[in-house]
Amino acid sequence: MTPQDATLAGRIAEREAVLARVRALLIQVLGVQREPDEIDPDTPLFGSGLGLDSIDAVELVVNLQERFGVHLSDDAMLRAELRTVNTLVDLIVARGRDAREPR
Amino acid sequence: MSLAEDVAAVRHAVALSRLDHVHHFRIRGDGAYDALDRLLPSALRIRDGQLLHTLLLTEDAHPFAEAYLCWDDEEFVLLAEGPTAEAIAGHLRRHLEGPGVEVEDRGRSHAILGLDGPYAWELLGNVVEPEVIGLPYLTFYHPGDAICYRAGKTGEFGYGVILPRERMADFERHVRAEGEAFDLREVGLDALDQCALENWFFNIRREGREPVTPIELQLQWRVSRRKEFVGSDALRRRREEGARSRLTCLLADGPVSVGDAVLLDGGSVGRIVNAGFSDSRGEWVALALLDVAWAYPGIEAFTVHGGGATVAARSVSPPVLVNRSLGVSPQLHSYATRHEYASAPLVRR
Repeated sequence: MTPQDATLAGRIAEREAVLARVRALLIQVLGVQREPDEIDPDTPLFGSGLGLDSIDAVELVVNLQERFGVHLSDDAMLRAELRTVNTLVDLIVARGRDAREPR
Repeated sequence: MSLAEDVAAVRHAVALSRLDHVHHFRIRGDGAYDALDRLLPSALRIRDGQLLHTLLLTEDAHPFAEAYLCWDDEEFVLLAEGPTAEAIAGHLRRHLEGPGVEVEDRGRSHAILGLDGPYAWELLGNVVEPEVIGLPYLTFYHPGDAICYRAGKTGEFGYGVILPRERMADFERHVRAEGEAFDLREVGLDALDQCALENWFFNIRREGREPVTPIELQLQWRVSRRKEFVGSDALRRRREEGARSRLTCLLADGPVSVGDAVLLDGGSVGRIVNAGFSDSRGEWVALALLDVAWAYPGIEAFTVHGGGATVAARSVSPPVLVNRSLGVSPQLHSYATRHEYASAPLVRR
């Protein structure tokens, strides 16, 4: 495996780990009635897709802070970032990388 | 007419479309619920006034048609697209008709007009009545003898109005007259399809033609694992075997076409199944069926090869736009005063 392959494999593994935690959050905390492997990564969160509502949005924001250390204060940012399961994973992975960057 | 101008109307103002590609059926009778439950893959939990976004599948669990199902005062309304009206009618009659079930094709008697855009709610409220502004997503109601529903596959506010054909011409004239204040523009299906591509709405006419199941298409949210339906056996087998590909969104540095090969480190990992140039982004947006090992956003090393050319591509999490409609509030905003407030950029870099 080349260094690039190893880096890519590592990023995919990191993403899968976060995806598993997000699926668990959706099922155990927000009550999504699905098995984890039924929740496709690009499934919309609100409206169609998982059909979450505004109350679920509040619960989601609280849990993003508590479980992943991600803070969403801006309403516009919230709407832009919380579109699908994968955009949620993108947010968590990006904040995790930001936290690991040397200052 | 240009596709770019049509898409801009959907993205920034209001676009009018004749939804002739959407076929309208009523299904009624004591056996209708059970028959639809055996046909459709979705759990049939639906209230009066609500739309269920679902699919019709073949026995091989491949998409046959894309549909909304509504429960309307003791009977069902099915709005389906993909195949011709005759093909959909044949599929419904094959799987639904029997004792206690009647299927009526309303295509000859009724027409559907679409309005899409961040201010579609405002124009429709002016034309129909103000109450339509409060219509939640995936619901419908009856202003008089019309059906007005809120759905849409562009990422903007989207509505359909169903009327008897003899009334539609007058209604459309009224919409166009009121629409002048909204720079209303009539758009075709290609504009709606481009907007659907940018916003990750399943397109039965594009990726829906692929011989894959809702698993590969990331449409499991429309499928129940807890009941039998047309295609459930095939879907169960695919789940047991494991899907080998997954629909993934790509952004490309140059033109890409359906059928082009997607490569990673020189090896083929998939193919393009839907593509279009996004004027909002200034780059090509594509959907590809990729090997599951590489079907993740954030990979920047893809190349797309087709027609003798090779372009760089990267995978992203869709949708690829921050829709203007996300920042528009019917309580606060208006098309006439849109320049008085700041809007978020359409594209996050």
